[in-house]
Amino acid sequence: MDLLRAIAIGVLFGIALYQLLRRNVIRIAIGLVILSNAVNLFLLSVGAYNGVVEAYAKAVGQRSDALPQALILTAIVISMGGFSMMLALLYVIASRYRTGDSDEVRGLSH
Amino acid sequence: MFEQPSNSILAILPALIPLTGAAVAMLLRRHPYAQAAWAFGAMATACAVSAWLLWQVAEAGQPLVLQLGAWPAPFGITFVADPLSSTFAFMAQLVFVFGFLYALGAKDKAVHHDTFYPLFLTLAAGLSGALLTGDIFNLFVMIELVVISGAVLTSISDDRYGPEAAFKYFLISTLASFCLLFGIGSLYVSYGTLNMADLAQRIAADPNRPLLAAAVVFLAITFMIKSAAVPFHFWQPDFHTASPTPVSAMLSSVVVKIGVYGFLRLTTLLVPQFDWLNGALIVSGIAGVVFGGLGAIGTHNAKRMFAYSTLAQIGFIYVGIGWGAALSIAAAVLFTFNHALIKSAMLMLSGYLASRAPIKTAAFSVVRGVGKYAPLGGVLFLLGGMALAGMPPTNGFISKLMLFQSGVLAVQAGEMAASLGVWLPLALIGFSSILTFVYVFRALMVIWWEPFQPKSPEEKVKPRGDSLLAPAGLILLCLVLGLWAQPLADWSQHVSGWIGAPANYTRAVLLPEQSTLK
Repeated sequence: MDLLRAIAIGVLFGIALYQLLRRNVIRIAIGLVILSNAVNLFLLSVGAYNGVVEAYAKAVGQRSDALPQALILTAIVISMGGFSMMLALLYVIASRYRTGDSDEVRGLSH
Repeated sequence: MFEQPSNSILAILPALIPLTGAAVAMLLRRHPYAQAAWAFGAMATACAVSAWLLWQVAEAGQPLVLQLGAWPAPFGITFVADPLSSTFAFMAQLVFVFGFLYALGAKDKAVHHDTFYPLFLTLAAGLSGALLTGDIFNLFVMIELVVISGAVLTSISDDRYGPEAAFKYFLISTLASFCLLFGIGSLYVSYGTLNMADLAQRIAADPNRPLLAAAVVFLAITFMIKSAAVPFHFWQPDFHTASPTPVSAMLSSVVVKIGVYGFLRLTTLLVPQFDWLNGALIVSGIAGVVFGGLGAIGTHNAKRMFAYSTLAQIGFIYVGIGWGAALSIAAAVLFTFNHALIKSAMLMLSGYLASRAPIKTAAFSVVRGVGKYAPLGGVLFLLGGMALAGMPPTNGFISKLMLFQSGVLAVQAGEMAASLGVWLPLALIGFSSILTFVYVFRALMVIWWEPFQPKSPEEKVKPRGDSLLAPAGLILLCLVLGLWAQPLADWSQHVSGWIGAPANYTRAVLLPEQSTLK
């Protein structure tokens, strides 16, 4: 299971970085979403390594840690707010520059 | 000895007042004047409270700690106002009050947007919260608040490239936030805590966990991106040029100091044993001084010039932290405080010129000769330029003097080997001052000495621009702190002595029986 999780994190990271380096701004935004999921999966595996029983169950045994899940929840909420703002920004950029190619969105560099 | 101080609500108020103020200001969005007055009042109250907090911390000689919900330290969220964080919070809020003052007198369309003041308040709240929190995940939340407010404020700028700058900034900052989350996750899996005091104690007890170095690298990348240090600086000039003047004055002066604060905590509290981190800071600082100075000379826009100059000044602060001697950390704290005042004043003056120019931009080709109609602005620009270059009688001279002295004294006392990492920055202090003279006085000559040449007859200098009250107040503070520098210099040495002993911090935050760090 650990190996599977590690591979999943790695694959998500690879896809996210590849999308981040594409030229289309929408792909960059999608890359960020995937990256945030990779990070959240990493945070999950941080706390899940010794989890055998649910954190608040009445059973005895090694309890799992509930804190990373709270962290992930916070991170998901924050990134949702961020991405919705980013999509609004992309809408403004697309209508102002008439392009979705990040190489042509370069009014500031000269 | 120290005892566990009582819970003090004062430690969270500098973040809580702007946050509540933002919510109320949102309700007032149909009443622009009431909203502006309310926002300024909330910010001024928050600044007064953080001054009171700083005074209390100085009087008591130990930090004020707030355990939220009365959960004891490693389990709940902690707010810690120790000498370092309360000094930084006061600096941030002081500059923010002047930022609001500038926004009240600004002619920008952006400041009349009905979400401008609420977002400006959340920017202040996020910054103060990031400085005062004692919980590393809470730091992430507060930094995200700063990032989102900063990006939205830039995207509503009068500058037509605002959305592009906001997009770049948001992309880079989100990557930085993910780095921070990775660092937090790595620290949590290694040490099982998120409280900075508890973390410091556990790292000191067992510094050989495999993920510690990775976590520190991730945190260092985050803080470098936040403070726009070389090699993570490339987004900063674009972003700071395009944002509305009051916002860019805040971003380039106090918001970049989150990274400085983070490195001060990393090198003194969390991982004081990692010498390579200090080395990396010195290298980044030297590169920043050279690159920032040369970059500022190559620009054609006053705002962009000062954005590049921030790179150089942050470089000096990093060199001070990297040297790591008590006096050089004190110099870094003093430099941070003084630079916040100088840089915000200079960016406000550039914004003032842009507001007088026929087209609203601070590009040299447009503001050429505009200064003839703004003599008071010229005097302030000259004084601010002297402070930036480090000339007496301004506070910039005091900070450079103290940094120079700390390097020389540390070598004489044998605390540091007289290596390239010491002599090169010492020489660069002089070199950078010359570069600063070159670019500030070139701007001064272009704007104030050359005649105004309109491209067409209908281009005229606008009779009224933004209010000069805020930059005048800041420049006055620069002069006062240059002539009467002793109290701040003494205080920064006290701060440096305090953070030099991490046991002080852990003892104040954790319950006595949990505190094991000697």
